[in-house]
Amino acid sequence: MKRAVLLAAAVTTYMVAAWMVAPGFYDGFGPTQPYNWTCPPPQAGANIKPSSGHLDIKVIGGVSDANSAFTNDGQLVIGFLPGAFDSTGKTTISVDITPLSTCPQPPGIGFVTNIYQITASAPLAKAANLVLRFSNLEPAPTDVYFAGDPAGPWKSIGAQQQAQPFTIVTSTKSFGYFAAGYPSASPPPGAVTVGGGGQTLPIIVAVLIGLVILAGIPLAILRRRQSHGEVEEEGDV
Amino acid sequence: MSLVHYAKVRPAGAQRTHLGIRALLVGAYVLCVEWARVSIQSQPYMAIPALVIGGAALGLVALGTPADRLGLGSSRLGLRILGGLAIGAVLLLPGAVRSGAVPILPAGLAFAAIAVSIGEELAFRGALYAALDELGGAPLAIAGSTVVWTAAHVLSHPPAFLGAVAAAGLVLALWRWACRDLVAPVIGHVIADLAL
Repeated sequence: MKRAVLLAAAVTTYMVAAWMVAPGFYDGFGPTQPYNWTCPPPQAGANIKPSSGHLDIKVIGGVSDANSAFTNDGQLVIGFLPGAFDSTGKTTISVDITPLSTCPQPPGIGFVTNIYQITASAPLAKAANLVLRFSNLEPAPTDVYFAGDPAGPWKSIGAQQQAQPFTIVTSTKSFGYFAAGYPSASPPPGAVTVGGGGQTLPIIVAVLIGLVILAGIPLAILRRRQSHGEVEEEGDV
Repeated sequence: MSLVHYAKVRPAGAQRTHLGIRALLVGAYVLCVEWARVSIQSQPYMAIPALVIGGAALGLVALGTPADRLGLGSSRLGLRILGGLAIGAVLLLPGAVRSGAVPILPAGLAFAAIAVSIGEELAFRGALYAALDELGGAPLAIAGSTVVWTAAHVLSHPPAFLGAVAAAGLVLALWRWACRDLVAPVIGHVIADLAL
């Protein structure tokens, strides 16, 4: 009885502690920090607006330095090789990353990240490496999409092998608007796409509880019968 | 409620020192493996290898400890499995009620998540719990394994989450004590890791 009470008290403590932090218990496979959304999905909880980023790249001897520009929250990183820019007549190249303040949802694509605009004071001469972080609250993206204008048209620029969990990597030879997503057959036009199967976790928990109850009743009956049998056998002797 | 029974004799003198050193070494090893795993995991392309190798390295610490001392066994297996499902439900319930969020673990990480969940249970509620239990009994085993478990997650979790991590460790350790069973914590931990 004492053990059951202590276990119940620990379960209650856990419920309170986990309730205070979304999504509760997790073991470090998810992103180490919550995603900062422009348009947070309903399940996101508290949200911080995404950050922008700026980088000045030096041009030495007509060749731009290797460097990486990133947003302050680390949700987008773009890396440049030496000589990545057409830096004719320049001593410095400025790169700016700005999250778009709206969330357009083009037909046929489900975006799972914010849309970021990347601009630079010189065009690219070599492909740049682009890394976008995404949230575990949305389905994993299959592609990075690019557009010259947020209204579209958007086209896939593919994705390379995932380097780290919850990141998608690709390369680009142009600046413009970037977002990660997946092909979607019937997107809700003009709306933010919320991850498919938003009730999956409640269903998993409901199934687990159902299994415990359904399997627990026959187990309890079996135990009771066994204990009765033992008492009767003892009585016979 | 008890699933496995074994005789226990409190150690004394030199034996106690020996057991203390062993518990200390097990705790230090487990902590080092967890911290190394988390550090390596954050490197490009290293997440899955780090999880799988880390899980195996954690499981190694249980080698040499008899299965019944680890809480492993097949007696009353139905009850153990049922307990695991119940623990899984408990661990996931706040997330399910609060956010209703889709638990999306990239497919490639699922196997790694299973490996590290089993490794963690064998290490924390298995070998470390057994070593501390031999040294100072159940209170030390429950408190010690929970403290080391929480410390092991310091690098992988934001500070705000450590309360929930500690409480989860306490639930798992108390189950281990109350039912002398590790099968249910393994099952519950695997379910929770696969879902979140």
